[in-house]
Amino acid sequence: MSDVSAHPSLSGYEVPIDSWTQPFWDATATRKLVLPRCADCDRFRWPPGPFCPGCHSQRVEWVPAGDGQIYSFTIITKGDGDQHQVFVPALIEFPEAGGLRLVAAIVETPLAAVRIGARVELSWSHAANATVPVFKIVTL
Amino acid sequence: MKHESAIAGVGATPYYFRGQSAPQTLYEMICKAILAAVEDAGLTIRDVDGLAFYSMGFDSGLIAESLGIPELTFASTVSGTGGGSAGVLDLAAMAVETGRAKTVICVGACQQLQIRYGTAFSHMPVTPEKAWERAAGLTGPGQVFALIARRHMHTYGTRREAFAEVVISSRLYAATRESAIRRRPLSIDEYMAAPMLADPLCRLDFTLETDGAVAFVVTSGERARDLKRRPVYIAASAHGGTCEWGRAFHWLNMPDPIFTTAGSEPIAARLYAAAGIGPKEIDVALIYDHFSPLVIMQLEDYGFCHRGEGGAFVESGAIRINGSIPVNPHGGHLSEAYIIGMTHIREAVEQLRGEAVNQIEGAQFALVTGGPAPIPMSGAILRN
Ligand SMILES: [Zn+2]
Repeated sequence: MSDVSAHPSLSGYEVPIDSWTQPFWDATATRKLVLPRCADCDRFRWPPGPFCPGCHSQRVEWVPAGDGQIYSFTIITKGDGDQHQVFVPALIEFPEAGGLRLVAAIVETPLAAVRIGARVELSWSHAANATVPVFKIVTL
Repeated sequence: MKHESAIAGVGATPYYFRGQSAPQTLYEMICKAILAAVEDAGLTIRDVDGLAFYSMGFDSGLIAESLGIPELTFASTVSGTGGGSAGVLDLAAMAVETGRAKTVICVGACQQLQIRYGTAFSHMPVTPEKAWERAAGLTGPGQVFALIARRHMHTYGTRREAFAEVVISSRLYAATRESAIRRRPLSIDEYMAAPMLADPLCRLDFTLETDGAVAFVVTSGERARDLKRRPVYIAASAHGGTCEWGRAFHWLNMPDPIFTTAGSEPIAARLYAAAGIGPKEIDVALIYDHFSPLVIMQLEDYGFCHRGEGGAFVESGAIRINGSIPVNPHGGHLSEAYIIGMTHIREAVEQLRGEAVNQIEGAQFALVTGGPAPIPMSGAILRN
């Protein structure tokens, strides 16, 4: 099996955005991955929302996510025979962001390389109205 | 136990493979189940004064109009989705114990004519806080539970053989149950050969998708003793959950080690405290089995084995009829039918009346769990 994971089909996907998630998508439009940290107590929160669950501050700093690694993943096969494609939705953990986890696709990666703990690097895919972060496995 | 309420009647439609309940309508099936439950209790529809729902609920007015229920003094829904399936008993018990209503109908029903629940996410409008799961290519809860299952395997060494045992044992039970959809015995080789839907979950790890309706009559224990059937008492019921579980598969930021649980530990603790018993006293467990790995995690949450040991526990044969805790002797969602947890309550009642198809000898206490899902989660301990 030399299957390589595909990009999810997102061209028809209109990403819903509100005032609290807008900065995330503004950053991805410039190819940056940022995560929300409370400007008062430094706690990361997910999803981006109106309050810090720790101190109830509404002030947010958007900071670079840092290096990510695979926390868990699944493999979804669609279609049969020569037409089949494999998709790898994964949970990416960011140790420098308080261990926050982002759910995102692993793309353009041989299935044999996908494992829990693997370091990932950022790449991009495109929805109808937004640039979507996806990840590849870092290979030496 | 003076104020303990009881299940006095059960009614159900047949169970149908997804879409095959047509041309009956959803409300037709709901009303059939209610009429059957009221009849089973030896009551009439004029006695009904309460409705309790979960998983978005139904139209109380339409049910009252359709059946001629004279007056409702209670009509409420547990928030959330399948997590509240056992919580509907909590709601009904509260209504009865506070005097809000005397005869409360709990009802659950499914009809999948257009929308398959397995692809539920793709039919729900995506909201901003759920934008990422769709972007990751996730279209249904089974795929997201696959992330949790794989992490459980990674952390504790849980094997696919354990998931297989959950499915195989459900099929063994279903073999003798007329109402079950999947009754043919399943071998481990067949299991391993089944196509992967969301690795590590294969097709057989997913619940059936079926149509049907199931209803219960809840009233006071005192009144139930004067009715037609042997009362099944609600010894404890609970719904709720912690922020550490939160939206569960829509959040995926549950801290370790909560991530690799079913989120039901807090419910378990409250149920056991309220009932004054522990897992050793439970004779039969009706565990919400939308996805087989979650049965294993709930067995851990409910203390039938230690955290992380659920895989080896089920592989030892513990959940079979002569095991330490028989699980889902009706075949569960995996092999009998999926009516969002209601079939599990029905089986608990049949076990405690002593009339189950796969009867656990002398069963006194039955555990029923609501689905691992965004909170509220729920559970109940029933006794005879
Ligand atoms: Zn804060």
